Amino acid sequence: MNIIEMKNIKKNYPLGETVVNALRGIDLSVEEGAFISIVGPSGSGKTTLLNLIGCIDSPTEGSVKIGGEDITMLDDTTLTNIRLFKVGFIFQTFNLIPVLNLLENVEFPLLLMKEHKLTKEEIRDRAKKCIEEVGLKEYIDHRPAELSGGQRQRVAIARALVTRPQIVLADEPTANLDSETGAAILTLMKKLNKTENTTFIFSTHDPDVLQYATEVVKIRDGLIIDKTESSKYLKQNGAKTKSGAAKAQSPVKRRK
Amino acid sequence: MNLIIKIAWRNIMRHRGKSLVVGIILFLGATVMTIGNGVVSAMEKGLKENIMNRFTGQLVIMSDKQEQDNVIFTPLGTDVEIITGFDKIKKILSTQDYIDKYLPVGKGLTLILNDNSDVGYALVLGVKFEDYQKMFKNNIKLVEGKLLGNDDRGILVTSGSRKRQYDEQDFWLQPEGVPLNDKNLGPEALANKKNLDVRNSIVMMGTSSENTTMDIKMDVTGIVKYSYLDEFWKNFNIMDIESFREVFNYVTSTDVVTQVPKEKQKLLERDNFDSLFGESVVEKVDTGKKDYDVSKLIGKRVIRKKVNVDSGAYNLIFVKLKDSDAIDKSAKKLNTTFKAAGAGVRAVPWKKAIGQLGDIAMIMRGATIGFVMLIFFVAIIIIMNTLSMAAMERVSEIGMMRAVGAQKSFIAGMFFAETTIISFVFGGAGIIAGAVIVAILNSLNITAENHILQLLFGGDVFKPALDAVDILIGVIELTLVTVLAVVYPLMVARRITPLDAIMRD
Repeated sequence: MNIIEMKNIKKNYPLGETVVNALRGIDLSVEEGAFISIVGPSGSGKTTLLNLIGCIDSPTEGSVKIGGEDITMLDDTTLTNIRLFKVGFIFQTFNLIPVLNLLENVEFPLLLMKEHKLTKEEIRDRAKKCIEEVGLKEYIDHRPAELSGGQRQRVAIARALVTRPQIVLADEPTANLDSETGAAILTLMKKLNKTENTTFIFSTHDPDVLQYATEVVKIRDGLIIDKTESSKYLKQNGAKTKSGAAKAQSPVKRRK
Repeated sequence: MNLIIKIAWRNIMRHRGKSLVVGIILFLGATVMTIGNGVVSAMEKGLKENIMNRFTGQLVIMSDKQEQDNVIFTPLGTDVEIITGFDKIKKILSTQDYIDKYLPVGKGLTLILNDNSDVGYALVLGVKFEDYQKMFKNNIKLVEGKLLGNDDRGILVTSGSRKRQYDEQDFWLQPEGVPLNDKNLGPEALANKKNLDVRNSIVMMGTSSENTTMDIKMDVTGIVKYSYLDEFWKNFNIMDIESFREVFNYVTSTDVVTQVPKEKQKLLERDNFDSLFGESVVEKVDTGKKDYDVSKLIGKRVIRKKVNVDSGAYNLIFVKLKDSDAIDKSAKKLNTTFKAAGAGVRAVPWKKAIGQLGDIAMIMRGATIGFVMLIFFVAIIIIMNTLSMAAMERVSEIGMMRAVGAQKSFIAGMFFAETTIISFVFGGAGIIAGAVIVAILNSLNITAENHILQLLFGGDVFKPALDAVDILIGVIELTLVTVLAVVYPLMVARRITPLDAIMRD
């Protein structure tokens, strides 16, 4: 069953007097429980594609269906609820609430989920478990400003996973993590993917991350140019895993 | 809700600088507003106490023929219509259970005739003096001489009128047998003390556009002063009602019959006064003539023409109600009764009756309220701007919250909670500070030096005061400011989307 279906998606952004065609007609179907990596050069439209799937942005043309429901005509409240209940988002930058500590940041989406009627204890337990899984148990009372970049990214991952969403979208999720932590996070994601049948879609350049993906979607100039199995893609592109050379291609690093 | 308050509180602490700016503005605004409320409240209470309770009562009854409601401070020379049929009105007033007491008065402008200078003038109230004092809390204080009894004849001249009379007509009024008191003499009179033209009586002639009037010589019984707002009331001299009626010729055929023996009535009707008295005790004079010589009239009684009015004629009736807050309601009720009975009078609330004084008070009050509002308007703009800037600086945080599932209402609630907490803490402190300042000002007994300040103070002494209602009004105003100041920043914050956060990053 397809949890995501995108048909003829176009997305244009006005830029001064010109228009940028970020996506120029994308068709994409994602099966429930998939573990997909989106690759492509900077500016190819990866983030825009993730934003559309995550109900953060709306297409200029085309339809996006999440769990069979067309989201392009939904109002803001409904879209927000989809983000809360169905989608977990991991941003390139950490985007934590600066005034809340680590535990409270992870609890935050659960506290917004009034419909689930979770008790305070349940919320706390679930958040603590997620924090433990990302290896930050000892930093539970720390504020974001007291954590390193990698630690903050792990908090953001824990926050995205704590609601047990149907879909987790991640924009360069391990870009700021060391290889050991990155591997641990990906193992956790993979575990959730298998046990909870959570669908994972993430953009990356990291061959270490690509290894975990079942499929790789290659995007360029706003169009999908290839959709293939991960192992095949890695073989075709001759990417080296666990090498500094591959990581040096990371768009995050390039921006720096 | 707990989450919103938790985040709001921590954001306040995190952005201490901005919170402090907003807080200080709210503190100052609330302080000024509270003091302003205290002043306005004092003015209102002062005017009520000093005018309503001490001069007019809550309602002023006047003739239906009276065109203007403003009967107290009428332009010079404008008559207040005569109330006829007082007996009938008295019966009505006595049977109204909401009326506490009432006092009929005569009110008019008299000319002060003099033999060596221009004609002066004086406003007079004709009353039964003891009743007047009972009605208005002994509002009139004796300066020199003695006060009037209900049956006494004479005039009580105010200190202010005496001084003005001296400035205009060069004679100094002094009750008979009372030595000059240097303290009460003005600087000019004191300098001229040796040559001072001291008089114990004045010749007064009522002015009227309707009927002819009389000139009578009045003994100055006492020099008096109003307890409060003397600067405003000092032109109103008090005389006994009988003399008042004589001055304004509010006498009837019956009165004339009473005064003049029957056998002489025919002679009176024939206008043959000299033949009646045999000497020029009574003269018929046409004051309109150019060669009218006042000096001939001094000390003489002049009857011109009788006016056809009922006995017991008055110009106004001051009414005090049992419930001083039910003015409009009582006026309406009383007017319905008057109309049904064909009494020919109407009841008017005191504020309308005092005319321009009420208007000035209203303007002063409006100006004070306007000043407070201006401060709040400025506060609203500054707070609005500060909060809007804060919202724009927190796009990443707000956008992320929205991305992970926070509704717009959550963001709005968070912003509103932040502003409300600041408003409650600093605004509350401002109200308390204002109340303390009001209490201090109250204890200082600052006296008013001029008319405008007297009006602003609502009396001679500045006594700002706050009661529970004023505090409640302050809290409501503060809430209003908070709500108005937060509306625009709220809209800005609500409009922030997750995409804005991503774009910014």
